[in-house]
Amino acid sequence: MYVYLYDNFVRDKKHSSALKALEISLTDYGIAGKTIRLNNYSDAKSIIYDEIKRGATTVVMVGNDKTFGQVLSGSATAACLFGFLPIGPGNTIAEVLGIPVGPEATTVLSRRRKERLDVGVMNNRYFISQLHVFPSRVEVFYDERLKVSATDKMEVIVCNLQPFYWQRNKKDIQPHIVHPQDGKLEAFLRPLTKRHWFGYTYEEPSIFPFETMEIRGLEPFAVEADGRLTKEIRLKISLARHKVEMIVGRDRKF
Amino acid sequence: MIFQKKSSHISVENDLAELEANSSRTVDDVETVVGPSVNVEGDFASEGNIIVKGSVAGSVRTSKHLSVEQGARIIANVRAGSAQVAGEVRGNMKIKDVLELTSTARIVGDVEVKTIIIEAGALVFGKFMMPGIEGTEKSGRTLKNGQTKKAEAEESPVQ
Repeated sequence: MYVYLYDNFVRDKKHSSALKALEISLTDYGIAGKTIRLNNYSDAKSIIYDEIKRGATTVVMVGNDKTFGQVLSGSATAACLFGFLPIGPGNTIAEVLGIPVGPEATTVLSRRRKERLDVGVMNNRYFISQLHVFPSRVEVFYDERLKVSATDKMEVIVCNLQPFYWQRNKKDIQPHIVHPQDGKLEAFLRPLTKRHWFGYTYEEPSIFPFETMEIRGLEPFAVEADGRLTKEIRLKISLARHKVEMIVGRDRKF
Repeated sequence: MIFQKKSSHISVENDLAELEANSSRTVDDVETVVGPSVNVEGDFASEGNIIVKGSVAGSVRTSKHLSVEQGARIIANVRAGSAQVAGEVRGNMKIKDVLELTSTARIVGDVEVKTIIIEAGALVFGKFMMPGIEGTEKSGRTLKNGQTKKAEAEESPVQ
């Protein structure tokens, strides 16, 4: 049985035509199922576990990168197959998974090409797409044998599925894209240097693929993982292999 | 005129596409990058290519390519498949294949390498060891020995 979790923003009028086309296509393939609309206060984890008890075997998220991260970070351990139908802007993970945006995504869903995805673990919590440590005075330790530090503040971005986009400066028209590899997490470290009387400028990023990493802050630092903001002083990040079973497209990037 | 305009537009588009392809390739091919104003301390080992633009202290090991950019500094023993050095290296280097030193390269330490390319202006303080030379030295010794033996053999019947 299929269960579809619609994100709150999908209700917007501008997405109604795309959603209609998607639903028609799902009915054509014979994979239409129960639809549940998520809102700001609903807990995706409890909804998924309840639906599994009622006999759901496939849970399909309908939305963008934010939806994907929010749903999967809580329910990565759920015993079901996950699917994804990307709608609207902000869909970079869909590209990595080889799922096209729009009604063509239903073709990928109907083919049911399954793949087990790696999940990032931060202090005993899962993250799917990206982890962002905002610029602060931190030191990074890789696999307990390598220490990376900067003279001033440093921004750390750890990518699991979401590609990393960066610009050298404001004049840089083309953003550089780095696609994460499978089997490893990728950390992008961008030190900030004080060049003028006020304000900081970003340096070119350092890229380190790793399996375990520890970020130690000289002062508490803000961390955003899959849209959830917390404050930490010490952060242990590692990789949980083949945790989530997911329907992917043929053109996936791993 | 219309055709001329179109062609210029197409050429610009082509250039942009080429640039994009190049930029994505250069970034995607590289696995580990140590950016400028980043200090790395410890045992730095990677199975992929390494680009160093900052400073590294400890040891550096990779089975693939190591690139030390201008302004970068490595205070460590280095082992790599191949390497290109434009910065400073203080430590012994063991390169399996090709080592390329550009004009801005500074090396303080012994270098063991198979093939070397040195641009004018590169500074090296240390000893170079290349496996090809060892082989000829050995063959040279055997030749000399062979000659002496022959000479002795020629001398003995006369006596």
